[in-house]
Amino acid sequence: MTPLTRRQLLSAGFSAAAVGLLAGCATPGTTSVNSAPAIAAAASGEKITLTYWSWLKDLQNVADIWNAKNPNVQVEAVWIPGGNEGGYQKLYSALASGGGPDLAQVEMRTIPEFMLVNGLVDLSRYGADEHAHLYDETLWKQVSYVDGVYGIPQDSGPMAMFYQPDVLGTESPATWDDWAVVAAEMRAKDVYLDTFSLADASSFAAYATQAGASWFRAEKDGWVINMTDDATLQVARFFDKAIDDDLVQTGYGNYSPAWFAAASSGQIASCVTASWGDALIEGVAGGEGKWMAAPMPTWGNGGYGSSYQGGSTAAVLANSKHPKEALDFAVWMTTSKEGIDAMIENSGIGWSPARDFIGTQRQQPSEFFSGQNYNEEVFVPATQQQNSEWSWWPVTQQSFNILSDGFRKKASGGTLVDAVAAAEKQIISVFTNKGLSIRKETA
Amino acid sequence: MTTTPVATGTAERQQPTELRTGKPARARRTRGAARAPWMLLAPFLALFVLTFILPIIVAIGSSFTSVRRSGLFGEEGVTSEFAWFDNYALALADGNFIASIGRMLLFGVVQVPIMIVLATVLALMLESASARWPGFFRAAYFLPYGVPGVIATILWSFLYVPGLSPLFDVAALVGLEPDFLGAGSVLWSIANIVVWSYTGYNMLIIVAQLKSIPVELYEAARVDGASTWRVVRSIQLPLIRPALVLTTVFSIIGTLQLFAEAQVLMKVAPAIDSQYTPNLSAYTTAFAYNDYNVAAAQAVLIAVVAFALSFIFLKLTNRKSA
Repeated sequence: MTPLTRRQLLSAGFSAAAVGLLAGCATPGTTSVNSAPAIAAAASGEKITLTYWSWLKDLQNVADIWNAKNPNVQVEAVWIPGGNEGGYQKLYSALASGGGPDLAQVEMRTIPEFMLVNGLVDLSRYGADEHAHLYDETLWKQVSYVDGVYGIPQDSGPMAMFYQPDVLGTESPATWDDWAVVAAEMRAKDVYLDTFSLADASSFAAYATQAGASWFRAEKDGWVINMTDDATLQVARFFDKAIDDDLVQTGYGNYSPAWFAAASSGQIASCVTASWGDALIEGVAGGEGKWMAAPMPTWGNGGYGSSYQGGSTAAVLANSKHPKEALDFAVWMTTSKEGIDAMIENSGIGWSPARDFIGTQRQQPSEFFSGQNYNEEVFVPATQQQNSEWSWWPVTQQSFNILSDGFRKKASGGTLVDAVAAAEKQIISVFTNKGLSIRKETA
Repeated sequence: MTTTPVATGTAERQQPTELRTGKPARARRTRGAARAPWMLLAPFLALFVLTFILPIIVAIGSSFTSVRRSGLFGEEGVTSEFAWFDNYALALADGNFIASIGRMLLFGVVQVPIMIVLATVLALMLESASARWPGFFRAAYFLPYGVPGVIATILWSFLYVPGLSPLFDVAALVGLEPDFLGAGSVLWSIANIVVWSYTGYNMLIIVAQLKSIPVELYEAARVDGASTWRVVRSIQLPLIRPALVLTTVFSIIGTLQLFAEAQVLMKVAPAIDSQYTPNLSAYTTAFAYNDYNVAAAQAVLIAVVAFALSFIFLKLTNRKSA
């Protein structure tokens, strides 16, 4: 054996140092702010500044309306990239290093993920429950977990169907079975009725929700998972067949560059999407006056009239020094008329979560959508026909990725039904690897 | 080494100074002189340790730690423990992560040789006696390297998307229906972007090496009546070997670290999943799944594979030259 070189000695030294450091290096997000004493409101006369990280555009204009009225609680809006495009990554690292803003935009489905890293303040400790009656019930349920409230609903996405009457005709399909018939007719004209994304499982989840699925339930003794219920399997079988019969476009997803090109040339006839899809559809070149909205097709036997996709909250992050004031601002922003109107005008938010006000602008008919007053006609009823049993869970993003990894196998002969069943097993093991208790629904 | 003009010059110049300080002339001055290099190095060393060595150690530490939460969200307690190789086992049991490494090996086996051959051919052509405007073409070939990877990918993605790209119209003229973003083809679409970006850079390294070949060798060859092809085979190629080895090792490491291209192309290509490349996999695990510990294990594994591949390649090329 050759004697140790200096370099080898050096690396041995570093390894020893590494072992020594092991003890001292704690993984971030392992202590909870909600077991610490509540933080008192700022003394009157004390001037504080709250920061709000969000990917809504021109949010500062909204905050400025509040700032003008509340000289002592100034809100500063900071733009971050949208959700998993980099915004959450930024928030997670800020939390991990013990910093971060007072408020952050967090999607409904991501709230439990932030709870898992102890990133959110339980707002029920600061009086959030007093405001519950101002919000849509389904949405309030989606921010409430184990006696706590972890975010203030800020916008949501009730679903409907946008379609081009010139391509599809004026009758939109009322049920998914009708939808399949129409889709086949469209294929004869070399038109796709809609897309189905194999890369993003969130549409599939929304359809399953509509059919009456409720994949997760939080019980006292742990999570209960049920992804292979009749509703989900019905949806999976339906789209298995639709893809096999080439009824849907799977090559690209909604609102991708290829989609805009196809929608503009009339090769995509319609789009089952959330209310916030209107702003995106308005970006279809030459689309003015060519689109209308109709209710989402239903699953016929049971299920709900509509579903939801997307939707976000203003959540108070764990390192905030002023959770009470942050809550007050969030409630003002999402329930006051001026707040909602400013959010729609400046930031183009999705559907307002407030119970009695959809926004002045949205009470008017839209020129782009063929003069239809689609918000009041289609989306207001949609919000009242949603599955309120649905609950998000702590590894939503990972679960959706697992699901879409399975969906991608559809291209090489797999089925959505198999993918759902396999995903359920894999998600259970993700939970157990984190130490969380989970069991399969036995019914 | 003496043939590489880069960096070695400064090292040689420093040597005499070091030798001089080593002599025990006047004790006090020597101590000061011995301290001087460390003082001058201190700013660099501090940053190097803080931003390079320390993160590596923390990452290795993190890869051996595991966090267990109990209850619904960990509200009933969170514990960190030393996990031995549990995280590595989880990373290796993840079929998608292993697939991403396999995918990059396949990518490397095809893309690296193509790029190196292309770079060598371009360099030889630019350095040949009959080249016109070599300065202009050198700059032109190098230009793509100046375009950041993200921007390059966005530009290329517009050429890959059906309905937007003129390439499809051209292909339709000859009756082809290409699919640049399909499950089977998107990897090679990425390879194309990488070749476009880095061929010029590698070419420049090879050109630098070609320029250092003494003129006498060419003159002697010409006197002996050697053809251009003969000069390439017997003089230029053997003498640029170090540059070829260097560029290949860089490319192997670069291949395993592929990230931006896949991440950006993901938006238009449904076939790219969140674990398409090893680095993308580690990124997703850490920042989308919040599983820093398994992500650290993945990162360490990527480094080990990159190290092993570079080492094997260097061993193989050294043995041939011996």
